[in-house]
Amino acid sequence: MLLQQLINALVVGSVYALIAMGLTMVYGVLRILHIAHAAIYALGAYAGLFSFLFFHNFLIAFLIAMVICALAGILMQQFIYLPLLESPRIVPLIASIGLFTFMEDLYRLVAGPYILPFPVNLGFSGIHFFGVTLTSHQLLILVVTFILLGFVWLIIARTRIGLAWKATAQDVETAISFGVNINKIIALNFTLGSALAAAAGVLIGIYYNSVYPAMGSVPAYKMLAIVVLGGLGSVTGTVVAALIIGFAETLMVGYIGFILPRDAIAFIALILILMFRPEGLFGRVNR
Amino acid sequence: MLRASFKSLGVLLGVLILVMGTLCVPSFAQETIKIGFFAPITGPVAADGASSKQSVELAVKEINDRGGIAGKKIELILYDDRFDPKEAVSIAQKLIGLDKVVAVVSGSYSGPTRAVAPIYQEAKIPMVAAYAVHPDITKAGDYIFRQSFIGLVQGAAGGEAAAKLLGAKTVSILTMDNDFGRTLASSFRNQVEKRGVKILSTDTFPMGEKEFSPLLTKIKGLNPDVIYNTGYPSEGSLIVKQAKALGIKSKILATEGIDSTIQFFGIAGDAAEGVVITTNLNRDDKRPVVQNFIKNYKTRYGPAPDMVGASSYDALRVLANAIQIGGTKPDAIREALAKTKDFDGVTGIIKGYTKGEVLKPVQVQIVRGGEFHYFGEITDPEIITPPR
Repeated sequence: MLLQQLINALVVGSVYALIAMGLTMVYGVLRILHIAHAAIYALGAYAGLFSFLFFHNFLIAFLIAMVICALAGILMQQFIYLPLLESPRIVPLIASIGLFTFMEDLYRLVAGPYILPFPVNLGFSGIHFFGVTLTSHQLLILVVTFILLGFVWLIIARTRIGLAWKATAQDVETAISFGVNINKIIALNFTLGSALAAAAGVLIGIYYNSVYPAMGSVPAYKMLAIVVLGGLGSVTGTVVAALIIGFAETLMVGYIGFILPRDAIAFIALILILMFRPEGLFGRVNR
Repeated sequence: MLRASFKSLGVLLGVLILVMGTLCVPSFAQETIKIGFFAPITGPVAADGASSKQSVELAVKEINDRGGIAGKKIELILYDDRFDPKEAVSIAQKLIGLDKVVAVVSGSYSGPTRAVAPIYQEAKIPMVAAYAVHPDITKAGDYIFRQSFIGLVQGAAGGEAAAKLLGAKTVSILTMDNDFGRTLASSFRNQVEKRGVKILSTDTFPMGEKEFSPLLTKIKGLNPDVIYNTGYPSEGSLIVKQAKALGIKSKILATEGIDSTIQFFGIAGDAAEGVVITTNLNRDDKRPVVQNFIKNYKTRYGPAPDMVGASSYDALRVLANAIQIGGTKPDAIREALAKTKDFDGVTGIIKGYTKGEVLKPVQVQIVRGGEFHYFGEITDPEIITPPR
């Protein structure tokens, strides 16, 4: 039983990591809390669903969703965040929240308020071992997340642009003075982050067979809690925090029951970390 | 000269006004019977709101096509309560004060309906709740009626179905944490304990929850004969799907909460096969009123109707019937409603109302081939008689 719960937890945590990654990347460089990221996540689910219904091919739908969201991310960056870079920090935050609200309602108006099914059959029903079941969708989530996050890690740890990214995350001005192309880094963040959110949207849409306008509502603020817990701008921190929250939620529900709404756990963690270690688990102390 | 022309102008105007007034009066005299309606047409449960609205509109159209009630057409004044009790309250004030309706049908859930029942009672406007189950709704007063079973009856019927129809010796309760879920779960528990069935576990989940694997994994370990689930289509379909994925062998018994054609089957897929529910729409009922409703709804709207639709359709018809008998004054409507006897409804033959609560058998349906079909009925008076 414990093994099954752990697998459930791993799946939940992996998806959180995928969504939160984009958020942490944007914050790392721009110091903007990109709430509209959750709207991109939902966009990914819708784009994936409609592509799938049109092309009848899951892989194509997946890739299309990622491309569309990467584009959406870039557009947001160019038209919303770039003009507001010089304004006080709260202005882009409000703009982001406004954009998020607008997009959620746009989905409702365009696609309808109903929960749309996303029926992707992966051809096999799952694997069973040691009395534990791993459904095909769960397996898909674990594999895709591993690949995508691995890809992100590779870029950041092993490429020049990754190095530039780390430098920028540490100190923007110094990085510029060393000749780092800031615009390229920012573009990378939004593209990559949004594409990851799209992947998460499609995976979740398939997993729960539900795509609906409000699906970004909970991730919008929960991802924020995860990103702060892990340390804003820290890629490792985000993954660790996402897994911690995934495990905490699943184990609480599995063993104690819904004594609190599961979403409350992320926030309790947020409150605790802000009280005792505001830079997050892996964050750097910027003095 | 000028004064004379002013005078003649005045006379001309006066005559014109008189003539226009005479011409206008007949259209004022052409009255309609104003019936108010509110449902969650947008929001998280928009599918049920749409189902309710479409069914009520179908009922109104059918009545009006036959000439209306005593020659007067029904005018349906509908509002979207957005699944928000606060919105339902402001709608109630509008319907009573502005639109001046003579009666209201609630096509909404327990939350909003419970909030407005006292308001309609106070204003002495009869309200028929189509499918909201919370007991407090009818406790608001004698102007409030409920078309569908009170939660206590349905929960008890579920318990009876588990014990007698499914032969369960052990059950696990997986209930939603809201008015609907709590009401059904508690009466289910009482009935099931009366029949000597052992309750292995009771778990609650919040409405809107999607991740049931932790709870289902726990229940799988306990291996009950039956799992009683009180979710709505979104939760219910995911529970059924995730239970199947986990390889759970227990039979799943649910409620009218998942009696929704598109939303439940669309998401649950073939995991829905074999699920049993307590509800009030027997798709296999041979009575013409049922088959015609199903046929006409499908023709007009596409998908097959569900419990919400059937209940709303009946709610309006019961009301129309009362207006036919009692006239258009709210007090008279209320009296006629209270005296309703053996009404041929889509959701069963309504024997009558006791303190606003309906008395009719509970249908038990099973999913076969992606559709609901007859499985049984609970007719034991001890169970289906609403508490006094």
